[in-house]
Amino acid sequence: MCGIAGYLSKGDDPEPVGRIMLDMLSSLARRGPDSVGMALYRTEPGHRETCWIRLPEDGDTAAHERRILTGLAVIAEVGPVQRHEGLLRVELATSADAAAIRAAAEGGSRDVEIVSLGHQLELVKQVGHPDGLERAFNMSGFRGSHAIGHTRLSTESRVDLTHSQPFWARGAADVATVHNGHITNYHRLRRLYEQRGVRFFSENDSEVIGVYIADQLDRGLTLEEALESSLDDFDGSFTYLVASGDAMGYARDPFALKPLIVVETDRYVAVANEEIAIRAALGTAGVAHEPSGHVFKLWRRSQLAAPVAAA
Amino acid sequence: MADAGRAGTSLEIGAGAGVEIVAAGVEIDAAVLPVRDVNREIRAALAGGAPVIVRNPGARHSLGVALLAPGQVTFDGSVGYYCGGMGDGATVHVTGSAGWGLAEGILSGTIVVDGNAGNSAAAAIRGGTVVVRGDCAARAGVSMKGGRLLVAGNAGYMTGFMMQKGYIAIAGDAGDALADSMYEGTVYVAGEIASLGNDTVVEVASDTDQAMLEAAFAEFNLPPPRHFRRIVAGRKLWNFEKHELETWRAAL
Repeated sequence: MCGIAGYLSKGDDPEPVGRIMLDMLSSLARRGPDSVGMALYRTEPGHRETCWIRLPEDGDTAAHERRILTGLAVIAEVGPVQRHEGLLRVELATSADAAAIRAAAEGGSRDVEIVSLGHQLELVKQVGHPDGLERAFNMSGFRGSHAIGHTRLSTESRVDLTHSQPFWARGAADVATVHNGHITNYHRLRRLYEQRGVRFFSENDSEVIGVYIADQLDRGLTLEEALESSLDDFDGSFTYLVASGDAMGYARDPFALKPLIVVETDRYVAVANEEIAIRAALGTAGVAHEPSGHVFKLWRRSQLAAPVAAA
Repeated sequence: MADAGRAGTSLEIGAGAGVEIVAAGVEIDAAVLPVRDVNREIRAALAGGAPVIVRNPGARHSLGVALLAPGQVTFDGSVGYYCGGMGDGATVHVTGSAGWGLAEGILSGTIVVDGNAGNSAAAAIRGGTVVVRGDCAARAGVSMKGGRLLVAGNAGYMTGFMMQKGYIAIAGDAGDALADSMYEGTVYVAGEIASLGNDTVVEVASDTDQAMLEAAFAEFNLPPPRHFRRIVAGRKLWNFEKHELETWRAAL
């Protein structure tokens, strides 16, 4: 199955999106307890570039960390560094683009993976239940504007950190995806991208969604256009969510094979596979609605009417 | 002495944690009980002839399944998957929305949802009435074997897929592949039809049909519908005919 959830505030003030996402994912964990993760967005766009990096599992971790930081220091002023489980969080002040940062950190190693990159995005994930995610990363206190999250039931690929979601749309700063379903033309799409030199880190079909979105953005499409074209370019069953620094949205396969419930109020938009997750995190406000198939929608914070102030 | 905790005064007989007997019937707080206990308490109350109101359903799954006796149950909020499924006779009212598989396989009874329904509402029902005041998502009335489904709003992709008996009435618009590969039964649509499914025929609804549907909508205080069109099986897929191979290719 897999559980996916998203939340986007329509207001300007930071909201406890870490707590909201954790509550939603705890409610959905029944749909897949193999791994869990979330992509959280801070409101201030001027924050330093933040990079989450997966360290190699084998060998001397401290040495790996030193090598990565030395590589990054060539192109960036390296700010605070923290290590959480198998992930390294590094803040950078740099004018280098995503490709250059990736080259500097990954340094050609097969085992080092940039998990996320962006000024607003924090992307954390790990194997196991949402409770473990909170113990490892303590993200319940995170305040920001929006978030997407995932709990995984592995069906066709390994259960480990690399195969966990969300996936960063590798190369596109601040863009992340979560997916419920199967992309059945994954192998064909992957071959296509690999012929163009794109590197895949997992054998999880969901990884190709981020690669696809990043590629479409790179070609000059808007995120809306990328979502729309994906409806015909992907085969199989899919409900996936995408988020960027400013937006959150969904796309759904023509047969509407995977569930998606949407609740929109004047204060926020919440989406999840099951309404129970929205009610557990946010209470009874708003009417739940399930869209039909072959549809997409994107909410841009910059284009939403400001919510009516509470009386 | 399994029921020791329930003895007490006569007023409290039959009441346990999360269950309260009120003037209007029995009130159950779903927030403090497992779904199995909620359903057990609903059945117990209905057996005693009392109407039931379930507070804080929280969109949990499988609420009110297999209610096999007449009686009145209200869910004060949204319900999750399979609400009211496998029922035979109860009248269920959901004041919020419903998830997948609403009223799946009911034999009789009535299920009314004030909000919207997720995929596969009224799937494979054999009788009874399912009413959705809002919209239905994909595959509402899939494989219906009797009964009726009234939708005051719009219905999504493949509504009435492979239905066999009974009718679906949609006051709003219908999505793509409407009534695809239906065997029998009737789908009525008052709004736009995005596209028809395989082997379907559109007919003008008769005055008798229209009067019957208007009465049905009035029965549940739904807004009076516009004039319906009627969609029935073309019956070309009933038996395999080699000279109709192209029809079969398209259908499969």
